[in-house]
Amino acid sequence: MTRITIKRKKNRKEKLMNIIATIIILILSAFVLLPIWWIFRSSLMSTATINQYPPSFIPHEWLWDNYATALETFEYWKYFKNTFSIIIPAVTFGTITAIFCGYAFARLRFRGKKIFFNICVGTILLPGMVTLIPLYVMWTKGLGLGDTYWPLILPFLTGGGFFNIFLIRQFFMTLPTELDEAASIDGAGRMRILWTILVPSIKPAIVVVGMMLFIQVWNDLLQQIIYINSMEKFTFAVALTNFTGSFGTNWPVALAATFMTILPGIVIYILGQKSFVEGIVLTGMKN
Amino acid sequence: MRGKKKKVPRVGRQEERVAYLCLIPAFLGVSLISYVPTIAVFILSFFEWNGLTAPKFVGVGNFVRIFTKDIYFRDSIQSTVLYAFLAVVGAVIYSLIIALLLNMDIKGRALFRSIFFIPYLLPAIGVFKGWEWLYEGNFGLFNFLLRMMGISPQRFLNSPDQVIPSLVLIAIWTSGNLIVIFLAGLQNVPRVYMEAARIDGANAWQRFVNVTVPSISPIIFYNVLTALITHLQVINPALALTNGGPGKKSMFMSYVIYLYGFQKNKMGYAAAYSVIFFLIVGIFTMILFKTQKSQLFGEEK
Repeated sequence: MTRITIKRKKNRKEKLMNIIATIIILILSAFVLLPIWWIFRSSLMSTATINQYPPSFIPHEWLWDNYATALETFEYWKYFKNTFSIIIPAVTFGTITAIFCGYAFARLRFRGKKIFFNICVGTILLPGMVTLIPLYVMWTKGLGLGDTYWPLILPFLTGGGFFNIFLIRQFFMTLPTELDEAASIDGAGRMRILWTILVPSIKPAIVVVGMMLFIQVWNDLLQQIIYINSMEKFTFAVALTNFTGSFGTNWPVALAATFMTILPGIVIYILGQKSFVEGIVLTGMKN
Repeated sequence: MRGKKKKVPRVGRQEERVAYLCLIPAFLGVSLISYVPTIAVFILSFFEWNGLTAPKFVGVGNFVRIFTKDIYFRDSIQSTVLYAFLAVVGAVIYSLIIALLLNMDIKGRALFRSIFFIPYLLPAIGVFKGWEWLYEGNFGLFNFLLRMMGISPQRFLNSPDQVIPSLVLIAIWTSGNLIVIFLAGLQNVPRVYMEAARIDGANAWQRFVNVTVPSISPIIFYNVLTALITHLQVINPALALTNGGPGKKSMFMSYVIYLYGFQKNKMGYAAAYSVIFFLIVGIFTMILFKTQKSQLFGEEK
């Protein structure tokens, strides 16, 4: 009897806590979304109404023309194509090579493992800023790849940095080794075990790594500025820096262009979200 | 006994071959993208080079100049360290709180998770342009909200004192990646421990300190480390928004390296700056590892 009442009391307390948590989350997410809404709402206003006081949260009139103007002056699709011709190979190669390396560190025994692992750990002390100048010299003066996308893509053939390899290794290590052993008794080779058993089990980590690589390229304004010179090859980041500069005070049109460069990220997230969420749920079920 | 022992190396050799094949990309990355250029940056730092004519050996001349005459040096270290410290602390605390809330049994979790994650996926340049408008002195959202609360308008990005905190706020807003990693970690906290603690009468705070934190401490460390290294390298706000201003208050070290290397074509001087930057990042990372001293990066037993 007493047990039951305790349980009920606990449940009520838990429910109350969940309600409080929901309220806090609601308020916080309003704050998080506000900037995005504000950019969107401002992108639909005229230069006159945008400067009114007090500002309204909803545009008086929805001036989609701003987007047309922005599209006219800002060659959206060209930059879209350019940006993604860097992102797609970078993310694909980066994820695949990170899986191989993470697998070797998590599952295989080999001579020099510890030393090589520590050498890799050491690379996190050698951040991109430090190596920027020699790498620039190597890519442009050494290999003559200035004003191409290669210096922005090729580094991703190496696992996309040790953080990604490390993250995948950590997730592989959480999987019981019985999983591999059972499969190898059934006669499956290492690569088959890796790609059919281990990789699907750590889907969340892989989606996370893919998204991190994606955003890494997306945000790498610096390297895009130094390696891309001709306007034909501009990416969103480089183009937008120059675009808003030349637009000066025409905030609505500049914000319309800004909002359009934000959109692909949101769309890709929505597309990938299902496997992403599934993935997180999957890891949660392992206990 | 003997027969068994003999067998191990043969299996091992095949395993080793697979391992080495798998690690080719990492090997290339480690050598060509990381170590060789780092050695090169040290060598280059002893030269004066405009990138076109032959480099001229100047010994430690570049370093002497940086420490004695450089107009950016002091400000760049100050602003970089301040920014990184505030951004790491802010982003880690913010994302842990959000992850804890999202880990509770609330309705619409998936939707909320997306909401907090999306800022991270937005391209930096778009984010900065958008926030520039939010921070705008006369008509920006923040000044409107402040005025509603009876506070006089602030200059944010144009104010020497507020520029760093203003940029940190953007960094915190975009730290959705930390939330996701925390969330994955939290979902791996064994439920048995939680239940056991609950039965022992531990309250929510005690459960957090004694069960959750120890269970996710490798994840906390991972997040602090990635955030620290990311934020020490901060450059995008300066490239996209401030150009190092107002004054020299957002003259981040990375931005100074960019200025010298690519605007003023002083490759050797910029390399010397990179060396100093490297040492600073190294010191901070070392301190972090010392405080952790766990088996996280070590080998499994």
